[in-house]
Amino acid sequence: MVKSRIGALFFLIFSAFYFYKSFDIHLLKGTYYETMTAQTFPYYLGILGMLVSTLLLIFSFIKIDKEDLLDLEKLRTYDFKKGLYLILAMIFYGYTIRSLGFVISTIIFLILGFRILQEKNWKVILLTSFSISILFWLLLTQLLGIYVENGLIFEYFFGAQS
Amino acid sequence: MTHGIWLGITTALSGYNIFMVAIGAFAGTFIGMLPGLGPISAIALMIPVTYGMDPSSALILIAGVYYGAIFGGSTSSILINAPGVAGTVATAFDGYPMARQGHAGKALAIAAYASFSGGTIAAIFLLIAAPALAKVSLSFQSSDYFALMVLGLTAVAAFAGKGKFLKAAMMTIFGLMLATVGTDADSGVSRYTFGNMNLIDGISFLLLAMASFALSEALMNIIENQKMTKEEKEALKKEIGSLKVSKEELKTIAPVIGRSSILGFFVGVLPGAGATIASFLAYGMERSIANVKEKLKFGKGSLRGLAAPESANNAACSGSFVPLLTLGIPGSGTTAVILGALISYGIQPGPTLYVEHPALFWSVIISMYIGNVILLVLNLPLIPYIAKLLATPRQILLPLVMFFSLIGVYLVTFNTFDIYMMVFFSIVAVFLRLVDYPMAPMILGFILGGMMENNLRRALTISDGSLSFLWERPITASILVITIILLVWPLLSQLFFDKITST
Repeated sequence: MVKSRIGALFFLIFSAFYFYKSFDIHLLKGTYYETMTAQTFPYYLGILGMLVSTLLLIFSFIKIDKEDLLDLEKLRTYDFKKGLYLILAMIFYGYTIRSLGFVISTIIFLILGFRILQEKNWKVILLTSFSISILFWLLLTQLLGIYVENGLIFEYFFGAQS
Repeated sequence: MTHGIWLGITTALSGYNIFMVAIGAFAGTFIGMLPGLGPISAIALMIPVTYGMDPSSALILIAGVYYGAIFGGSTSSILINAPGVAGTVATAFDGYPMARQGHAGKALAIAAYASFSGGTIAAIFLLIAAPALAKVSLSFQSSDYFALMVLGLTAVAAFAGKGKFLKAAMMTIFGLMLATVGTDADSGVSRYTFGNMNLIDGISFLLLAMASFALSEALMNIIENQKMTKEEKEALKKEIGSLKVSKEELKTIAPVIGRSSILGFFVGVLPGAGATIASFLAYGMERSIANVKEKLKFGKGSLRGLAAPESANNAACSGSFVPLLTLGIPGSGTTAVILGALISYGIQPGPTLYVEHPALFWSVIISMYIGNVILLVLNLPLIPYIAKLLATPRQILLPLVMFFSLIGVYLVTFNTFDIYMMVFFSIVAVFLRLVDYPMAPMILGFILGGMMENNLRRALTISDGSLSFLWERPITASILVITIILLVWPLLSQLFFDKITST
């Protein structure tokens, strides 16, 4: 498979969707006769996107560079599993940052991250994650004066801050 | 002008701002050193820190990060042959062989002197060129701006490299498309929000820059499973040797630095070119004018081959500030991110910047010079110690980079939706990186998108809906002619040139 062709297909579908959705842009009354409405720019961008991605697609059939071929051997050496776990860890971080609060959720995220990347030394893991999140929290709240929510879990146990 | 320069000097030389340049240069050096993380990531990671600062100090910090990142990239190029930054790939050609011969210290020192001189010469040029261009650009109208932005975006694609023109063009269009998400500035109508309230304000530029650079670069690093080779680990343990450069050696490299700096500055001013192209051009130029005996040394540790790309890439960094500060139009991904930062501080760069915020305008130029001095005086002696940081295991470093990018965006809005959106965009970016689509044109298109639409709307309104504004003004017309040449040339060469060479 050719790399530029995969990308071209992705962009062709994306541009077509973008173009199609440009008709959904709601126009205000009285702007129908204006030369440039909120719809104009997206409409032409959509056309341009479809045009360029089609050109890319055509070129990917006319001329194939060796470099453009998807190197399956190389792909097999890639560690997609770790990448996926880290993505899940980030989503988990987003999910817990408000409920558990900045400090606890950051500690968990960093521990997860270090473990996923196979750091074995627990002393390093705990020391780094605790010190980074607490120091960063102190920096934000005490030094820079930025308000950081305590987290719902704290409010549940200690009541909301007044 | 003298009043402005004086104002700039006093602003830039305040204790706080010198501290900011130092912090910036230092942080930039460290981030730039990490293989895979470039200046765009370095700048994006530092932007959240600058919120709440005075715009001058913030921009001074960012300029320091930019220089530092390029310098840091050279360090890893020389020490372990792993350029952290595309602009320093050419540095490795002769810098790494020098390090292997046991002259790492000398190579680093030459790189620092060359960067310093390149930056200095370019700062002087900038001092002259920027106000002159700012005066000319005061007469520009919206149609000219529209044409200039089209030129800028086209140039980025045209300089993207052989066979990459269409890919870069597609990424630019993708960036423009993403810019239309949110409320339309003119009519207040929401576009592409799919009924989601979180998208009403559009996608923040910081979010997109962090996701498509810092986060996705970290993810790519993990997926590619790059581990430091034994050779690299050993290279880091080695003593770097003396930092001294002899008088004769200085004599050899002085003219090289002069030539390459001037070349680098002008390449940097051009939209779309920038540090990478400047460094390769300077290296090529130096090799082609060297005599036969010298030519043989290139690639094996030639002093000239090291000094040329180093001075050119730093000069190009300063050069790229010219269109940014005077026209408000960035010529590269990095300056696009800086523009995004400026806009978020409430400052619109452009010809009026020079008149309305002289302290900012001049202090940035002056602080570039200070940044170069700091890199030479502070960073060079510290390099052996900073280089040790490179040995920090990546399983510790990468989760930290991810944490800083996520939290940098979250702390601006306190909206968890932003974290999910970053994850989404980083996945898209990883996919596009895997199929070799360049990211920088996208961020450039994204940041110019809104401005482009506004200028087009204004030009169309002035010309009463007719497209005649495209050819009525000579400035607009000539900019568009250059654009068309840039646009047609790579397409034709892609089609025909290969056939000619193959036959």
